[in-house]
Amino acid sequence: MNKIRRWVPLQRLREFSLVIILIIVVLIFGNQIDNYYTPRTFNRISSTVALITLVAVGQTLVVLTRNVDLSVGSVVGFTAYYVGRYVSKNEDISPVMLAALAMSIGAGMGLINGLLVAYGRIPAIVVTLGTMAIYRGVLVEYSDSKSVATRQLPDWIKELPQESILKYGEYELRALPAIALVAAIIFFFLLLYTSFGRRLYAIGSSPEAANLAGIRAPRMVTLAFTLCGAMAGLGGMLYLARFGTITVDAARGMELQVVAAVVVGGVNILGGSGTVLGAMLGAILIGTIEQSLIRMNINEFWKDALLGLCIIIAVSVDRILINQLTPWWSRTELQRMPEEHHAAA
Amino acid sequence: MQQPKRWARLKNWETLMFIILCVVVVGNLRLSEHYLDLNNLANIFHLSIEKSLVVLIMAFVIINGEIDLSVASVMGLAATVLAERYEAGWPIAAGFAMALVVGLVCGLLNGLFAAYMGIPSLIVTLAGSIGYRGVARILLEDNSVGDFPNWFTSLGQDGLIGPFPATIFVFLALFILGFVILQYSVFGRYVYAIGNNRAAAEYAGINAKQVKLTIFMASGLIAALAGAFYAARLGNVRANAAEGFELDIITIVLLGGVSIFGGTGTMIGVGLSLLVVLNLRNGMSLSNVDGNTQTSVIGILLILSVLVPNLFQLLQRLLPRVFSTISGFTNKGGAPEPKSQVSIHQ
Amino acid sequence: MRKLQLLMVALVLLTLTGGLVQAQDDPEPIVAEPGIELNMVLLPKTLGNAVFDEAHEGAIEAHEELENPGELIFNAPTPDNAIPGQIEIIEASITQEVDAIMISANDYEQLLPSTTKAMEDDITVVTWDSPVAPEGEDLFIAQVDFTEVGSVMADMALSILGEDGGQFAILSATPDASNQNAWIEAMQALLEEDEMYANLELVDIVYGNDDPDDSYNEALGLVDSYPDLELIMAPTTVGIAAAAKAMQDEELCGEIAVSGLGLPSEMQEFVENGCSQEFALWSFKDLGYLTYYVSYLLASGAMEAEEGVVFEAGRMGEYTIEADPNREEGLRVLMGPFSVYNAENLEEWAAEEE
Repeated sequence: MNKIRRWVPLQRLREFSLVIILIIVVLIFGNQIDNYYTPRTFNRISSTVALITLVAVGQTLVVLTRNVDLSVGSVVGFTAYYVGRYVSKNEDISPVMLAALAMSIGAGMGLINGLLVAYGRIPAIVVTLGTMAIYRGVLVEYSDSKSVATRQLPDWIKELPQESILKYGEYELRALPAIALVAAIIFFFLLLYTSFGRRLYAIGSSPEAANLAGIRAPRMVTLAFTLCGAMAGLGGMLYLARFGTITVDAARGMELQVVAAVVVGGVNILGGSGTVLGAMLGAILIGTIEQSLIRMNINEFWKDALLGLCIIIAVSVDRILINQLTPWWSRTELQRMPEEHHAAA
Repeated sequence: MQQPKRWARLKNWETLMFIILCVVVVGNLRLSEHYLDLNNLANIFHLSIEKSLVVLIMAFVIINGEIDLSVASVMGLAATVLAERYEAGWPIAAGFAMALVVGLVCGLLNGLFAAYMGIPSLIVTLAGSIGYRGVARILLEDNSVGDFPNWFTSLGQDGLIGPFPATIFVFLALFILGFVILQYSVFGRYVYAIGNNRAAAEYAGINAKQVKLTIFMASGLIAALAGAFYAARLGNVRANAAEGFELDIITIVLLGGVSIFGGTGTMIGVGLSLLVVLNLRNGMSLSNVDGNTQTSVIGILLILSVLVPNLFQLLQRLLPRVFSTISGFTNKGGAPEPKSQVSIHQ
Repeated sequence: MRKLQLLMVALVLLTLTGGLVQAQDDPEPIVAEPGIELNMVLLPKTLGNAVFDEAHEGAIEAHEELENPGELIFNAPTPDNAIPGQIEIIEASITQEVDAIMISANDYEQLLPSTTKAMEDDITVVTWDSPVAPEGEDLFIAQVDFTEVGSVMADMALSILGEDGGQFAILSATPDASNQNAWIEAMQALLEEDEMYANLELVDIVYGNDDPDDSYNEALGLVDSYPDLELIMAPTTVGIAAAAKAMQDEELCGEIAVSGLGLPSEMQEFVENGCSQEFALWSFKDLGYLTYYVSYLLASGAMEAEEGVVFEAGRMGEYTIEADPNREEGLRVLMGPFSVYNAENLEEWAAEEE
């Protein structure tokens, strides 16, 4: 046990606990479902979770600063539609340019959120509840309620979801999960090892203290929103690649899935603590439960109730694990690095 | 210390809402000749009565520093329980009572997980919103239940006084009750105190957990009542009843000047914001504006209502400087410095 | 003055022909008289579904053809406010004293209080695509016979799976979508009764909630749960497109076929690459056109909603109001026919579109 303790530092305890819960969940479903431990299940869940993960990564930045972005669903929907329209008219645009286009549209929308929150001094939930409706309204106006059809898209974008980047036997890392994974890794290190990242944590932990330390909070918050928007924009392009047919209702309600992933992943909704890795694990946990429930041979009408139950049990177990493990873990850790113990808060 | 400042600010907020309301009403009068029809006036409230009811209790929840995303699902579950029991042969009144009990139980669960286990209410009630809806689906599957007795449906459909059905008067009574409790009772003080600073409130001897649990249970109860009214108004119930109502409800509360961080907001502000939203939606409906655009307009209003006062504050601070550079006029006393870091919602 | 005279003559003629209808065995159809001012509301289930746009186009065509100087209002609720939103629009239409409301109902019973109220205020209520209970409407424009949808789906399953049959599953919309449930029921009944379909084995019915994300995942869930599955039948345009895309992404197109009710514009791609051999749909444009014609005739008083009445609906020709076999005391106008699309006729369709 001491070995694990040395291996998993205190500030990784949250992720450690999520991994344990994830393993328990997989074991339970594996016991209930035939042919569960197959490459297929892995490919299925990884592809499904990719989109939510990508958007959740951006959302983490915002939540760390004590804010929230509820407009991501509308941003994903709008960029998916806009990029779809654009690529159907300009078929020869390169994938990288298209991704850049998607990200800049998303970033623009995120920037508007950020400016209103940071410089307009409006609570984030008010701003993004508003822009959620406004961006969706813009989409309805822009599209004239028409939809983008798969046949209008060039082949490469339609085939993106089946592209595999890495292959080990039948286990594949497909393009969509790969993109999400790369984004998660980049932001994981960005948050932990750059001054930008540390400043976001500082703002979320204590805005007053951050202010006194000379951190320009409004600028940082705006940047966090912009990056979140950019991730949602990229998510929009992936959404287009995955579903092909885009209506004005694309990604409606996705914001709640994303926020759920982030919060289940242990990112404190009041800011200041949590990691991108946690958010990713949160997304994977919820995605695994959802996908496995689809596979389970149970009455259709029971699935929602079970999903709600599973989430609340997972969160409760996580809470109990953390409460039990933290004091035990920190007994020696505290002596070594007393400044880190805020992670438990 | 917090008190006088808050009251002063809120007076402003309520004035702002009142002005917006006047603009909306005048706009509606100009746009549609039918706006003042008695039937239309009744419709403004009648068609959103369930949301309006839940708005009242959601104000308590948010002022207390929590959130309840499960209200729409509790409404659906309550309506479903009422219908399912009625179909099983119970008298409708008993089904009604059962629905209220179920609402209380949902609230109890939310409260236990959120207040006593310390899991953020956002995630508890998000899971709750999936779960309770799920239970409703288990109960009714894909069936619909209707043919309720006349007295029950007329409760939600027929006019009691003129075209105004009984449910509107229930709402009015609850509004007054909510106003008195929040603004003039000890419990109301507790709600604000905990929302402002939970730790300080607990040091002052307030049992924050108990207050929160009470509010969550009340939220479940009111949502269940609203669900039963929904059943009465539509005369028929499916498991998807009231799906998606929660965001509208929260929007109205926030527009009412309630801070999402808790501690501020008044019942009058929420009431005015409710009037603004309902009248605005009604006016747009009469002008055949589609649902997406309606929601966008309310979104813009939500942002502007906070942005504009903040901008005024900023202008107040900047303008004297501008004047001084243009005309060389120097204000020796200095411009009255507004409390710069205090925005309305913090 | 001349106009008034002409109008009088027309009216007299109309009454005369109306009288003739009673007298003859083979009645003259009622023909619409253009130019009457009627404000009409076209109210689909939600915005953003391509089929309703097509219905709107059809209604506009009829609106222009009939030179109605009144307004044609097209409005719909958002999906998260579907039923209450439709009620709000109906109530607003009553307040505005419109002449006709044409509804594709989100629920069979829950709109009744409002639609009955509209009828009491002398507003013509015509449902299309998805009806309400008969007491809350004048009549229902049925796109096709509901039992026919079942048989068309069964036939498509048979032609895809062949004589030897095999396993197939249904991917529907929401669990409480009344149209889809009726069609699936009709199909199930047929599978049991008719020897011809004896080898078709329906293994599961799942629901994608008319959401591309859910439908996509449910389709893959079916593939994982039933290793011998050969066909996914999706009686919803959202579901069929999502299922076809899912099969394409998993490179399962040769193994598992996708069929059901789909829009040619959305499905052309998948027929070309072999993910879907054939699918069916009626023309929503025609449905909108016919609905408008019927509502115009009823609202202008030229026609009563009674069994046996024959009328002419512009370019679509003659129709008869008949008793609805699926709903007691309900009236319907049956549009039909089904178009079954496959690789051959889709090319023609695409050529027409260009």
